Parts: sequence; structure tokens; C-alpha cells
Amino acid sequence: MDVLLSGQLAFSVAVLGAVYAVVGLGLNLVYGTMRLLNVGHGELVMLGAYVAFWGFTLAGLSPLLGAPVAALLAALLGLALYGGLFRRMLEADGAGGRLEANSLLVFLGLSVVLQNASALAFTASPRAIRHLDEVIRVGGVAMTENRLAILLVAVAACAGTILLLRLGIHGLAIKALIDNRRAARIVGVDVDRTQRLSIALGFGLAGLAGALLAMIEQISPFMGFPYTVAAFVVIVLGGLGRLAGGVAAGFVLAAVQVYGVALTAPTYASVLLYGVFVAVLVLRPQGMAGARARP
Amino acid sequence: MLKGTIAAAALAAALGLGAQAEAADPVRIGFSIAQTGLFSQAAPSQMTAYEMWRDEVNAAGGLDVAGERRVIEFVWYDDESNPTKAAQIYEKLISDDKVDLLLAPWGTPTHLAIAGVVEQHQFPVVGNTAASVAVRDVAPGNIWFPTSAIPDRIGPELAKLAKSAGVTSVAVIANVLPFSQENLQFLIPALEAEGIAVKVNESYPPDIADMTTLLTQIKDAGVDGVIALSYPADSFLYMGQAKEIGIAAPFQFLLVGPTISAFADAFGAGADGIVTLGHWSPYQAAWPKAKPFYDAYVAKFSMRPDYLDTALAYMSCEILQQAVAVAGLDKAKLRETIAGTTFDTINGPVKFEGVQNAVTPTAFLQLQGGEMHLVWPAEIATSAFKAR
Repeated sequence: MDVLLSGQLAFSVAVLGAVYAVVGLGLNLVYGTMRLLNVGHGELVMLGAYVAFWGFTLAGLSPLLGAPVAALLAALLGLALYGGLFRRMLEADGAGGRLEANSLLVFLGLSVVLQNASALAFTASPRAIRHLDEVIRVGGVAMTENRLAILLVAVAACAGTILLLRLGIHGLAIKALIDNRRAARIVGVDVDRTQRLSIALGFGLAGLAGALLAMIEQISPFMGFPYTVAAFVVIVLGGLGRLAGGVAAGFVLAAVQVYGVALTAPTYASVLLYGVFVAVLVLRPQGMAGARARP
Repeated sequence: MLKGTIAAAALAAALGLGAQAEAADPVRIGFSIAQTGLFSQAAPSQMTAYEMWRDEVNAAGGLDVAGERRVIEFVWYDDESNPTKAAQIYEKLISDDKVDLLLAPWGTPTHLAIAGVVEQHQFPVVGNTAASVAVRDVAPGNIWFPTSAIPDRIGPELAKLAKSAGVTSVAVIANVLPFSQENLQFLIPALEAEGIAVKVNESYPPDIADMTTLLTQIKDAGVDGVIALSYPADSFLYMGQAKEIGIAAPFQFLLVGPTISAFADAFGAGADGIVTLGHWSPYQAAWPKAKPFYDAYVAKFSMRPDYLDTALAYMSCEILQQAVAVAGLDKAKLRETIAGTTFDTINGPVKFEGVQNAVTPTAFLQLQGGEMHLVWPAEIATSAFKAR
């Protein structure tokens, strides 16, 4: 059981957790502010990975430099979808409250379109790039440079986003929208502008995550789905719309997967993961970090 | 179905086949492809082989149908990686589209699903990407399997290769998906029979996100061989994390993954010495068609062929082509020709006994200096095994 105390496992939890956190944070922003259930979130990760792949292959651009480009492109896609589709849906959503269900269907369609358009454009053949794959040792822990880079950039992206929301006026507006849409509008929050910012940030974070993952995973049009699932688990664990809680939940999810396997067996990984998921839903349906609903 | 038809029409239009079809009476060849769904990542390795074969044959004047040259036209649909849907598509191809010939879909379950349809219609089809002991349960006569990568043969041969490489103890990790587990079932007794100690034997789920614990366990076991019965995604995960953890076993085997072009792109020289499943290499001089096929493929698609699936898919086309040259399109004659002829393929001679290829031995490849060499068995090896 020495392995449990090893820095190696802790490093793996940190890398995996940072990826889950950044992917989950993007989904949480979009859901939190607009109640849009983006089941195509993983496809944004996939598009980010392709941006990094083509940038690297065609122009020799490091995925670390491709990451902001991927984030920007994903953000622009988010803004285009918002302007062309979701703004109207959000404005039309009255007391009926069908927005979540409708957005789920729209994003499901979008997910299929993005997957198949990517398959047609890039073929479904897996792609991969080799970048920063040397192993360095830090305090007795072996770290592949690309995994360390993923950890650092993903943590910085999460921290930057959370700080923006805590400190900036736009962040306060997003937070207000997450807490109570109607009240936010009444007190003069520019809902439209805040929603734009939110979807751009949310989509951008997914694109960024994809570009980072391109360094360690095979890239294919269908690589996104596991990240959609992970992001939903993360935001349910952390509390829907609870951004910092979601980030923490990313690391909890990774710890359950890595330490759970170390304590039991690899075949129990999914049982443990969804066991924790169901337990949280039963015991704390508002999420680990969510406040209990007031009577 | 409509989507597949539209895509097929678009593809045909893009390739200008419409114009060619007017000029000659085409041979229509039908198949389904896993364009979407679970197997879609694997399907291009098959589709590219089909496309390359069609284009080569058409450029040479068309398919020789018992002496008459006819242009090949594909009729294909997306089976969405669903074997039941694939069976329906083959029914439609035969009954409604009335295609002249058939090519195979991708994957073992899909091959097994269409076997009943081709049997019912007595319509011969040469399979390719199916590898399971279950193929031997298929009624012989209308479907044939050119692969030699069948798990009950892989296990004993892999154990012999490991033994000859000086391996005395191994760690075996296996994905829980069927092909891995079928291999595991035959591998463990074979390793024990060769006197190789199995110090780690763990299975893991297909969506495994981190292998640190497994790999630390392997490292601590101090084995000189690691056999990962993996699929492509976990082969990638293994490679990245084994390097980080410092797995230095001289014999390392990954089941599925290293033969795809992206694998070498991802790991480069770091993958040198990895052994994997496969019975074709472009470097076997006794197979004169092998290297020209490889070169033409790389020139056409700017990537390496999958040494297993693309080679098998292309072989199935070659077998069909040579059979049709003799038998024409008559199904009974075609069946008799496929069953009784020795074919000359990129993988050397192929002859069927029952549903199986009786010539090509079960074999293994090793990445050596960026090239995929056959290292087992000796009679077809293109290089000796080199410790990693």
C-alpha cells in the first residue's frame, strides 16, 4: 500500500483532476448562467484537439500555443450559436420552463453534427502528435512534461476564471445570473452581455482542454463523449452552477478513480465512480458544495 | 440509411463514377461501413483499402470479370456500428440493390451478423476484419476469413515468442472488452505451459482514465515481460504512462493499437521495440506485392496503412478480384473458386480450408526504427526480435 502514499498517484490525480475541473467548469458556466444543458460539450473538447493537431502538423505550433487559439475559436463558435439560436430560445422561455429540455435536444443534434462533420472533414482515422514527451523528476515523482504542462495550464485556467468571477464586475454579473436570473435582471445586470461572456468562457475552456489533451490522447471525431460524461458528473457532484464546487469535484472525481483503483481493483473503477455519484445525489442532491434550498 | 445513401451518392459523384458508369456497364459492389458509432474510428482503415483497390482496378481498365473489363462502382451504407443494421443492409444490397458482389463490413460481431444473410441468399463474401474463435462456428461455404489472428492461436504463439525472447515472468493486463478477454483466456494457460510465471493478472474497464496504479504494480513485480491485451485508447494510455512510471521490461506487447498510423506519430522512437498483433509487413521480400501496396497507400493517403486491418481489407479485395477473373459473377462458380484456389495477395499466398485461411501463420510485429517488422514466426519473419 506504499503506492497510496506515493507522489506518483497524487500527480496522476492532479493531472486528471485538473482536466476534469476545466472541462466541468466550462459546462457549469453555460448551465449555471443560462440553464442550457450542453450535451455536446465533449465535442468542443474534440474541436480544440483538432485545432491543436492541425496547428502542430501544418505550422509546427506547440499545442500550448494552440490552446489559446482553440479557446478563442471555441468561444467564437459559442458566440455564434448564442447570437443565432440561444438568445432567442432564452428570450422565448417563459414560465413553461422547457428551456433545459429544448437545449438538451439542440445540443444533442449539435453534438452529432459536429462529430460527423469532423469525420467528413478530417476522416475518423485517429490522429496523434508527439510533443513534450520527456520525463522529468520533481522530488522523486516522475512527470511527463506534457502532463505537467496540462496540469499547470488547466489549473491556471480554472483559477483565472474563478478569480475573474470573484473580482471583476463581469464576474459578479455572471455570479448574479447564476444565483438568480430574474433578480439579476431587475437589479440592472446586462443579461445579454453577461450571457455572451459566459458562453464564450464556457466554450473557450472546453476548446482549451481539448488542445491540451491533444498532447496525450489519440484525436478522433468521437473522443469527446467521455468528457461530456465526466463534465456532467463533475457539475452534479459540485453542485449545478457552483463553479468553485465543480472545480473541487473534478479533483474528487479523479481521486475516486485513481485511489479507488489502488485500494480495490481496476475493474471497480466505474462502480466506485458512479457509486459516489449516486451517493451524492441521494445524500446531497444540491451537490457537495451546493447550499441547501431554503424552505 | 438515407444518410448513407446520400453520402454514397456524394462520394460517387465526387469521384466521377457517375460519368464512368455511363461509359461502361459497371460491376456494382455492395457493403456496409461503420461510418458512425462505436467502430467508426476503425472503419477508415478498411474503407481506404477498398477505395484504393477500386481506384487501382478502374485505372487499369476495370475489374476482369471472366475476361471482360468492367468498371467498379460501390454501393454502400452506414451501418452505424450496429451489427443488426448491417445484416439489414446486406439483405437490402442483395434483394433490392441487386449488387453483383459484396465486400465485408468492419468487425467480428458485424461479420457474424451478416453470415446468416449471405448463407440464406447463397451469396459469397470474403471477410476481413473478424478475429474470434466464433468464426469457426459459422457455416462454411459463403463467407471466408483471411485473418490468422484468432485468439486460441495467438495465446500459444505469443507465449512461444515470449519464451524465445528469454522472458521468464510476465505481467498481463487486459481490457474487459471481448477480444482482449478471449485472448486472455487462451494466453494464461499457454504462458504457464511455457514455464513463464504470471506475476500480475489484472483486467481493467475500457474507459480507464489512468493506469498509474496498474503500472506501479507491474514495476514492483519486477517482470521482464508486459503483455497488455489492450484496445487503441488504452494502448495510448499505456505508452504514455509506462514511460513516466519507468517500465523497462525488455518484452512489451500491446494487442491492438500499435498498427495504426497515429501510434507511431504519437510515440516515435519511444515506441521502438513494442510488439503487437499482425501478420503482414511491407518488408517481407517473399511477398512482392507488399511493399508496392505500402508505398502506394502512403502516397495516396499521406499516412501509413493499418498493418492489420488495412492489409486484411485489401487482401479480401485481391481474393475477390482473382476469383471473379476466373469465375465471373456466377455465385456457385465464385463460391467454388474462392473455396478451392490459392490466391496471391500482399500477404503472400492465401488458401481457405473451411472458413479459415490455412496458409498465413499467426504472427507478431515489432516496431524497429519506426518500421513494422514481422518477428514471429521464423518462416515469415523480416527481422529478429530485439529487446526493448
